[in-house]
Amino acid sequence: MFKKILIANRGEIAVRIQRACRELGIETVAVFSEADRQSMHVRFADEAYLIGPSPARDSYLRGEKIIDVARKCGADAVHPGYGFLAERADFSAACADAGLVFIGPKPSSIASMGDKAMARATVAHAGIPVVPGTEGQGSLRDDELLSLAPGIGFPLLIKATSGGGGKGMRDVNSLEEMPELLASARREAESSFGDGNVYLEKLIPDARHIEFQILADQHGNIIHLGERECSIQRRHQKLIEEAPSPLIGTDESFRRRMGEVAVQAARSVDYTNTGTIEFLVDKQRNFYFLEMNTRLQVEHPVTEMVTGLDVVIEQIRIANGWKLSHRQEDIRWRGAAIECRINTEDPYNNFTPSTGRITMTQLPTGPGIRIDTGVYIGFEISPYYDPLISKLIVWGETRAQAIARVRRALEEYRIVGVRTNIPFHQTMMATYPFIAGEYDTRFVEEQFAMIDAAENRELFLDVAALMATMVAHHQMEHRAHIYPRTGKRSPWQWAGHPQEPHR
Amino acid sequence: MKYIAEIDGMEFPVEIVDEHHIRFGDDLIEVDLAAVGGQPLYSLLMDGESYEGYVYPDDNRWQVHLRGQFYTVRVLDERERRLSSTKTNISGSGEFLLKAPMPGLVIAVPVAEGQPVEKGQILVILESMKMQNELRSPWAGTVSRLRVKAGESVEQKQHMLTVMPKVEAV
Repeated sequence: MFKKILIANRGEIAVRIQRACRELGIETVAVFSEADRQSMHVRFADEAYLIGPSPARDSYLRGEKIIDVARKCGADAVHPGYGFLAERADFSAACADAGLVFIGPKPSSIASMGDKAMARATVAHAGIPVVPGTEGQGSLRDDELLSLAPGIGFPLLIKATSGGGGKGMRDVNSLEEMPELLASARREAESSFGDGNVYLEKLIPDARHIEFQILADQHGNIIHLGERECSIQRRHQKLIEEAPSPLIGTDESFRRRMGEVAVQAARSVDYTNTGTIEFLVDKQRNFYFLEMNTRLQVEHPVTEMVTGLDVVIEQIRIANGWKLSHRQEDIRWRGAAIECRINTEDPYNNFTPSTGRITMTQLPTGPGIRIDTGVYIGFEISPYYDPLISKLIVWGETRAQAIARVRRALEEYRIVGVRTNIPFHQTMMATYPFIAGEYDTRFVEEQFAMIDAAENRELFLDVAALMATMVAHHQMEHRAHIYPRTGKRSPWQWAGHPQEPHR
Repeated sequence: MKYIAEIDGMEFPVEIVDEHHIRFGDDLIEVDLAAVGGQPLYSLLMDGESYEGYVYPDDNRWQVHLRGQFYTVRVLDERERRLSSTKTNISGSGEFLLKAPMPGLVIAVPVAEGQPVEKGQILVILESMKMQNELRSPWAGTVSRLRVKAGESVEQKQHMLTVMPKVEAV
C-alpha cells in the first residue's frame, strides 16, 4: 500500500481525502496557496507546502510545481480531488512520468471522457444513446456552430468542451441571440479551463439529471454503486443530490438497465478508478448519456450513506492495484440519503456570492447527520475559490425521514459572518414538488422562488419585529452613552460594536 | 421607549419598558435577549418561548433571519416616525450608478467614457467565485465616471461607472 499521498486540492474535499488516508494508515501531504495557510487541510496534514499566491492559476492549478513537491517529499501517489487538476490528462500523464501514481483513471480515459465531444462520440459508438448535438465533430468555429444549430433545433445549450459545473454554458432560444452567447461562453470557458472550445447540445424538456457511481479496478472489473438524483440545480450547478432517485424509486429493473449502460460506457473507454456517468432522463423514462466525470464527485457521500462503502478508500485501493472487494451482486442500498451543498451565496439576493470572515459556526449533529466541511471560526471566505464551504449529508430509513432530518439539521446549523444558502435549502425542504419528488433540472430556475415558497409556511413576524426592535434599541442606547473602558457589559451581552458591519 | 417596527407594510408597536419587559400591543411580555457568543445571533426568550435568529444591520433597516425565513424590519422611534411621515418623495436624478453586486475581478470593460450605450448592452464583465457575470445597462444612455478597468479587483457595492440616460428619456 502507499506510504504517503499528496492531496492536490483544498477545502472540504482535501479534508475528506485526508480522513480516508488516516484510516488506511497513509501519511498525507497538503499543498496550499497563500490564502489557505490556516486552512483545515493544512493543519490536518502530516506535511504541508506552500505552492503560490491565492489565485488558483498561481497555486492549485500549477501541476509541475505540485509534482515537484510530491517528488521532494517522497510521496508515492497524488490524489487530485475534484476540480483544479482532477480532469487534466496532461497532469495525470506528468504524474506517471515523475514516477507517481495518479489516483484516478489513465490519461487516455481522462482525455476521451474529458473532451465532452469525444466522450459522446465514443459512447455513441458503443451503442449508448446520447443527447443530439455536435458531439464528435471536434472544435468548431462560430460560423460552423451557427449553421448546425437549426438542425439540432432550439432551445439548445452551448457547453464548454472542457467544462463542468455550469461554467461556459449558455441556453440559446434563437439563432439571433446565439452569436453573443457563443462569445460569452467561450470567454468564460477560456478563463475557467484555459480552453475556449464549445459544442452544442439539444435541450431535453422536463429532464432529470440522474448519475451512476462507477468503481473500476485495473483487472477489468467494473461495478456501479447505484444512482444519485441531482436535478435540483441552479445555473447548472448542483445544489441538492439524493439517493435513491425519486423517479427510479423501487423500479429495480429500470435501475439495473441504467446501471448496466453506465458500466458499458465506462468499459468503452477502458476506465479504471471511480467515475460518474451522468444521464438525462425524460418524462417517458428515456435516458441519454450526458457526460462522464472521471474523478471523485462532490456528492459522493450520498452514495456512501446508502451503500455503506467508503468511495475514497475504494479509490485508493484501486489505484494501488488491488481488485475490487465487492461484486455487483454484493452491493445493497439501504434507506435514503440527501445532500445539501452549503454555499456562501445569498438566496435573498439572487444568490450573490458573499465573502467575509466566519465569526461563529455551530454544526448540526445527531442521528443520521454527516457534515463534510473545510471551514472553521476565523476562516476568511475569499473570492478566489468556489463558494462551497460545507456539505450536509443526511441519512434516513425512508426519504420522508431523511427530509425531516435535513429540516431539523438545517435549523440547527449556524454560520455567522457570511451569508449562506441555508435558507434556500430550508425553503426547498418545505416545497411540495420536492417533497413529492416531482422536479426536473429547471425547477429551481423556473418554478421556485424564495418568497412564493415561503407563503405556505408559518411566519414569525411578531418575533422578528421584537428582535429587531430590541437590537435597534440597544444600538441607540449604546450611541447615547460613552462607555468607560472598564465598564460592565449590559446583561443582554450585546454583539460586537454596533456600527461594525456584519456583512 | 416606544418604537414602531414595520415589516412588509405591517406595523408592530413595541414599547421597551425595561431590560426584561416589553409591551407588545396590549400585552406585557417578559423577555430575555442574549447575543450568542457575542455574535449577531440572538437567543430570545419571550414568556418562555424560545427563538433564535440572526439580526444584521442593513442601511437603515434590519435583516432578521429566523426559522428559515427572512424579514426586513424598519424600526422607528416616535420622533423618526413623525419625521418620516412628513417627508416627500424626491425623484432621483435619473442616473444609473453601476455598483459591484459582489466582490470580484473585472474581466473586461467593453465600454469607454462618454460612449453611448443601448439598453441591455454589456458594461462590465465581473468574475467572482469562478463565475462570469455580465452587468448590463438598464437603459440607453451615455457612460460617464468610469472608474474601473480590466484586471482590477472590486469590493462589493464599489462604484464602477454611471450611465446618464439619453436626454429625451429624462
